[in-house]
Amino acid sequence: MNDFAELLNDLILSPSRKKKIDLLKNFFCKSNIKNKGWAFCILTNRMDRKFVSVKELKELIIENSDEDLFRFSYDYVGDLAETISLLWESNNEKNTKINLHEFMEIFSNFDHKNKLKTKLKYFLDRSSENQRYTIIKILTGGLRVGVSNGLIKEALKLSGVREKSEIEEFWHGFKLPFTDLFEWLDGKELPKYINRKKLFNSFMLANNYNSNEFKSYKTDDYIAEFKWDGIRAQIIFSEDGKIFSRNGEDITNSFCDINTFIKGYFVVDGEIVVKKNNKILSFNHLQKRIGRKNPSKKLIEDYPIHFIAYDILFYTSVDCRALSLIERKKYLNRFIDICKFNNISTSSLIKFSSWDQLQNIKETSLNNHIEGVIIKKKTSLYKKGRVVNGWYKWKRNPFSVDFIIMYAQRGHGKRSSFYSDFTFGCWIDEQFTKLVPVGKAYSGYTNDELKSLDRWVRNNTVERFGPVRSLKPGLVVEVSFDNINYSSRHKSGVALRFPRFSRIRWDKPISQVCSLKYIKDLIN
Amino acid sequence: MRKTNINWLKKKREGLYCVPGNFFIDPVFPVEKALITHAHTDHARPNNKSIFSSKETIELMHLRYGESYCSDFQIARFDEKIKINDVTVQIYPAGHILGSIQFLINYNGYRLLISGDYKRTKDKTCLSYEPVKCDTFITEATFGLPIFNHPNDQDEVKKLIKSIKAKVNKTHLVGVYALGKCQRLITLLRDLGYDETIYLHGALTKISDFYSKNNIKLGNISNISECSRSEYANKLVLCPPSSLNDKWSQKFKNVVKGYASGWMRIRQRVKQKNIELPLILSDHADWGEILKTVNDVNPNEVLVTHGREEALVHYLTKKNFKSSALNLIGFEDENE
Repeated sequence: MNDFAELLNDLILSPSRKKKIDLLKNFFCKSNIKNKGWAFCILTNRMDRKFVSVKELKELIIENSDEDLFRFSYDYVGDLAETISLLWESNNEKNTKINLHEFMEIFSNFDHKNKLKTKLKYFLDRSSENQRYTIIKILTGGLRVGVSNGLIKEALKLSGVREKSEIEEFWHGFKLPFTDLFEWLDGKELPKYINRKKLFNSFMLANNYNSNEFKSYKTDDYIAEFKWDGIRAQIIFSEDGKIFSRNGEDITNSFCDINTFIKGYFVVDGEIVVKKNNKILSFNHLQKRIGRKNPSKKLIEDYPIHFIAYDILFYTSVDCRALSLIERKKYLNRFIDICKFNNISTSSLIKFSSWDQLQNIKETSLNNHIEGVIIKKKTSLYKKGRVVNGWYKWKRNPFSVDFIIMYAQRGHGKRSSFYSDFTFGCWIDEQFTKLVPVGKAYSGYTNDELKSLDRWVRNNTVERFGPVRSLKPGLVVEVSFDNINYSSRHKSGVALRFPRFSRIRWDKPISQVCSLKYIKDLIN
Repeated sequence: MRKTNINWLKKKREGLYCVPGNFFIDPVFPVEKALITHAHTDHARPNNKSIFSSKETIELMHLRYGESYCSDFQIARFDEKIKINDVTVQIYPAGHILGSIQFLINYNGYRLLISGDYKRTKDKTCLSYEPVKCDTFITEATFGLPIFNHPNDQDEVKKLIKSIKAKVNKTHLVGVYALGKCQRLITLLRDLGYDETIYLHGALTKISDFYSKNNIKLGNISNISECSRSEYANKLVLCPPSSLNDKWSQKFKNVVKGYASGWMRIRQRVKQKNIELPLILSDHADWGEILKTVNDVNPNEVLVTHGREEALVHYLTKKNFKSSALNLIGFEDENE
């Protein structure tokens, strides 16, 4: 446990990628195989559940400390695990010498829900501050120690005999307790339960479009498709079909209205959207389906799923990834002809003869649920990640509107000491006397701007509600957002998609900010 | 906010004002007469007409602001009661930095204790804090949250020595506040047997020499400008925190960056500042020390100033102390 706690602490404080890889490699070399397995599981966030809820943790710390002191401290620190680990009043018990794997086994096999807090208290009482932090981070999931899967793959490559490409290929196949992964890395055979045909394959991703770069490129060498505002998915069509999300999570059950059963083996890449009466609906509609493990019949009827296929990775025994895009498109069409599912279609190609024309199409297309276009080189192969000379996304210009800052809250993690989360709004009507909140933004400013915003918040606070500060209306910010839709969940009746600051208008008077009517008129 | 019990203490634009004494304590703007608790720049500002403080504080202000920063100054001594207009003033050590003092102000038998910045941990560079019974106690709350529980200072410094020994060929660059923290860290290093020359950023040498003259043994210290670039490996270099990430620090190529401060308690703060080697070393009282001090001086009323007043006021009120926040402006939130 202590070794792992030290590893996490060192990872957090190490600035360089190389150093992090060294730390991981070192840890994987010296630890026993059971600890390695659990460390891998925790670092790659492959835990199948959260062991403790935030609510339970808060109850526990309030029992151990004081509710208000916890609140003040949490507001200041901005990280629950860190607040609790610092606030915990240890009763000077001897520190536990428990191994990481023993600890994890206790909590994995723990099924007395009502005794969970007592068990956790037992360990917190017997831990150092750093260990407490680690325990809480593990049990609540989501470490945020700046370790990507890519980094771990590098470290594993260095400590084993396997190539990175092999690790990549079987990465998603191994299961808890991951001891067989480390045996395989040392040269043993692949475990029997791993069936390559059931595994998620890494996605090819798009680079940002750069108009200068493309000026000299021939449009003939590229195809273009619309970028729909849905969620990326990879579907394995087979007798034991599966749907995977962008990060390889199995989301088959959430989208059970897509039939994945078919004889053979086909792996298709595309976008999940909601389509009703032949019309693709907004991301808001899709959100009702995301994360629902067992959607009801009614939900499925109200928000029917459609899959827009744009690439194919495997066509039976053909590994299409090694073929050019044009060849792959042929295989994809053949697959669509075979499967005949009415909620699966191919993404249509945009006809264009110059980049200017494509830009025009991108900006003027009437459909509101298009984020932009994707440009793909015809000869490109299907490769993992962002590849040069592969795919490029060219987003629509965002909407841009001036709003007034209304509330601010302290950020979390790295920004915990700054007021960095802002609620903004506009005038509720043409009287220009009352404001209504429209959205929240916490990005788009530079570090220096953040400092100025923080200072402004501290100097213009009218009232405090817990961690939230209500502010004197006085500061105008230009907010960019990708899309806007009606929403019954918000007081304003509208929901913005990905709002972020584009400019801080220190100079602009609040009287020049628009009313809600203007905002609503933006919706098509 | 509840009114304070004493109607002869006022909050003014310039700072805290004692009416019957006709003086300010640690004013942020120039005044006629100022009582200064210690020489940190947020407490000791230039251009006051007349100053009353400890010998060391006055000399440090000379060092910082030149000879003409003040026309009239009066040295306070620990064994004296000084009458200033209608009040008598006594001073007691505050344990914060060299020359730091508390003021006990007595007006018609009512005792007001102003602690300035203080700590209870033993520090070889200054006299230890002395608790004094009083009626109203003004405490700082820089670390006024229960999450602040400063670890043993020697253990923290051992981390630095261990790192210097383990990371061969690296230069250890540690950010320290120029007055107080720098010299305390050096004495701690010396106590733990580190006897190599310690190199200082130019901004730290004047004050360190002043400490040496005041019989605080710092061992071999040297300005880093006297060391050639080829010799940087394995050296320990101290610099002001602001220099850790500026142009000056770029001349050190193979470097481990550290920072000695109470704020290093919080990981995300460490990360924000790109610190690899955090040393939790504070010259301010932590939560436990503040509470201990309140118990020791046993006042009727506690007034809380600069820092996290809310939590401390909340807690003291719960413990049946009459307590409120002073809400003074002008004191640096994040520095120490």
